[in-house]
Amino acid sequence: MSNLVLDSVTKIYNVKREPDVLAVDAVDMTVNDGEIVGLLGSSGCGKTSTLRMIAGFEEVTSGDIRAGGRVLNDLAPAARDIAMAFEGYALYPPLKIRDNIAFGLLRDRRPRAEVDAKVKEIAGLLDIEDILDRYPPTLSGGQQQRTSLARALVRSADVHLLDEPMSQLEPQLRAILRARIKDYLIQNKLTTIFVTHDQTEALALADRIAVMNDGKLMQYATGDDLKDRPANLYVASFIGEPPMNIFRTLSRSGGDGRRLEIQTPDGGSASALALDLPVGTVADNDLTDGRKLALGIRPHQIRFGSFTALGPVLSGKVTSNQWLGDQTHLGIETGSQLVIAVTDGTVDAPADSDIEITLPLDALHLFDGDSGEALHHGLNKRDAAA
Amino acid sequence: MTYLNLDHVTKRFKRETVLDGVSLDVERGETVAIFGPSGAGKTVLLRLIAGVLDPDEGDVRIDGRSVVHEQPEERGLGMAFQNFALYPHMTAFDNIASPLRALGKSETDVRQGVERVAGLLQIDHVLTHLPKALSNGQKQRTSLARSLVRGPKLLLLDDPLRNVDAKLRYEMRIELPRLLKQTDATVLYVTQDYKEAMALGDRIAVLDENRFAQIDTPATIYRHPATTKVARLLGDPTINLKPTRLGVDGNGASVELFGQTFPLEVEPVDAVDCLVGIRPEHIKVSMTETENGQPAELDAVTPLNVRSVLLLKTPDGGEFLASCSEAEAARFPRGHRQVWLTIAPEHLLAFDAESGERLGQRSAGGPAP
Repeated sequence: MSNLVLDSVTKIYNVKREPDVLAVDAVDMTVNDGEIVGLLGSSGCGKTSTLRMIAGFEEVTSGDIRAGGRVLNDLAPAARDIAMAFEGYALYPPLKIRDNIAFGLLRDRRPRAEVDAKVKEIAGLLDIEDILDRYPPTLSGGQQQRTSLARALVRSADVHLLDEPMSQLEPQLRAILRARIKDYLIQNKLTTIFVTHDQTEALALADRIAVMNDGKLMQYATGDDLKDRPANLYVASFIGEPPMNIFRTLSRSGGDGRRLEIQTPDGGSASALALDLPVGTVADNDLTDGRKLALGIRPHQIRFGSFTALGPVLSGKVTSNQWLGDQTHLGIETGSQLVIAVTDGTVDAPADSDIEITLPLDALHLFDGDSGEALHHGLNKRDAAA
Repeated sequence: MTYLNLDHVTKRFKRETVLDGVSLDVERGETVAIFGPSGAGKTVLLRLIAGVLDPDEGDVRIDGRSVVHEQPEERGLGMAFQNFALYPHMTAFDNIASPLRALGKSETDVRQGVERVAGLLQIDHVLTHLPKALSNGQKQRTSLARSLVRGPKLLLLDDPLRNVDAKLRYEMRIELPRLLKQTDATVLYVTQDYKEAMALGDRIAVLDENRFAQIDTPATIYRHPATTKVARLLGDPTINLKPTRLGVDGNGASVELFGQTFPLEVEPVDAVDCLVGIRPEHIKVSMTETENGQPAELDAVTPLNVRSVLLLKTPDGGEFLASCSEAEAARFPRGHRQVWLTIAPEHLLAFDAESGERLGQRSAGGPAP
């Protein structure tokens, strides 16, 4: 298949005696052949409506969905060559797991030997070999979901649509199944669009992620770009576990550089946390005197200790030091707000001890305080966000 | 000094045993996380302590006195629940005030008490709101404030962060320990999330199949899990477990893994079929050949937030998960490639293949990190 294109796709639900609901608002995106794309957002963001329009289960209110230049809007779901796994599994209760998985292949008139081999392969991948001869109602939610996934992945359709494909999986199986599924999708060049509310799943599986909020596409980018170049404050404070630390700041001109004064939550400025930016790094018009801004840094890019050559240094008090096995999370009270810092190793800083942290300039992000749009990523660099 | 003591507590519902002779001592001022999968009996345990349920056998003692014949309100506990359980027709203030008013406190005392805990939890500005006007985070703080307002000596928290959004959950996970220390309360904290258990518990009591599988500090449980079950419950990605045989000779114990022999730091035991466990963060992956490196194929990279997970296949068909930092993972683009694995033997764990119990308990109760 060639590219799948969503061109200003909009969905409005008309509800009797209620105002219309704008569920999907002019979404533009392209899914390349063989690409794995995640639609990510919290409930009600429009991600499932978007998926259902691609599948053909929902009418497109305006805009076009195209594949290889052909408009799909009015094609029935069956005419679109899609394979789908639903959050509600939608398994056939009277059919054994084996036959549920084989169903689509047999309907496509694939030879029996090929069907058997494929069912065996996908069952091994999803750890359901031992339940192939059982019936859906006798299985746990996790096993039913793995069966539903197997049924969608075993076919090679133009597009594979997966709705919350791993939401019910047993926690101990998630990491390995995600990795195996990703490998399978890449090796078989399956174009895949999946919906999830779980950013871990989106980051793990997807080549690109469409972050949606309130019907709008907030950013469509690789996981690395969502983390390193968030387009706005919404994405910055949504992506990351824990998400980016955000400081509300005001710009102040004066001195050799541009000065940012971090505000306290009630809007007062806490000049102890003010920082000066090197001359010439941020465009002057970004920092009109008194402009409201927000400064962000991801928790694991904070450095422990004072490295004034790298960026501003804050002092604070450790509120908690939590070792989680393969990483450590620290809460640090810095006068105006709580900062969360993360590191791979351990940190010798017990609760209530004093600590200094460095916010490296190259890890700082600057946003407009009102619109939330990103202005600059890496405050020692010249290039702006756009 | 022991403040709460569970002494061989058993609870049955009809013929089903939900708790099977569980015992636990909690020190005054200590926070113990009760952690386990759903259905393990965690909530039943809290209800037995609260007095909402009675044990069939065994005793529950608070500060040395048996409380099994006391009514819930006589036990002097504070409780908060995952569904908040706020009175919908009362403002946040009145919800928080309800335990004080039930004690017949003067309105001056009530106001002082509510304002103190509301300040601690930063909900002073929403005290006049009804629950329906509160965000989930504010509801959860209101529920916590109500559990704290009487200054209870024993606080029971039933998965209180379950229903709040991710961002607030991280913030509360970071803030709660300090808050709990300020109250001086002894705390039992029920959770299904191992990270919460490790972050909040001075100790973790792992409840599995109606018994405590292990009770110890987070570091000891993570590094020296008592069983394969416990090893699998803590850690994401899950620990790698591979069947092999533990050999013993003059040099001590060793195991074979993909054709290499690794010495094992366990007390000498007899040769036995075992499962060898290695946590993903203890497998180092290199793009170039390394000394003692095991050749393997890297099949998939699944980035998480701070770390990335690598799916590896060894020539003998073995499958391993390793994890590495985000920066290291940037070296591995899409698709299969040849890599070399190195495992430090000091991180290997061996479990009895049949019982799942860890072999050679030498390091049990070992030092914290």
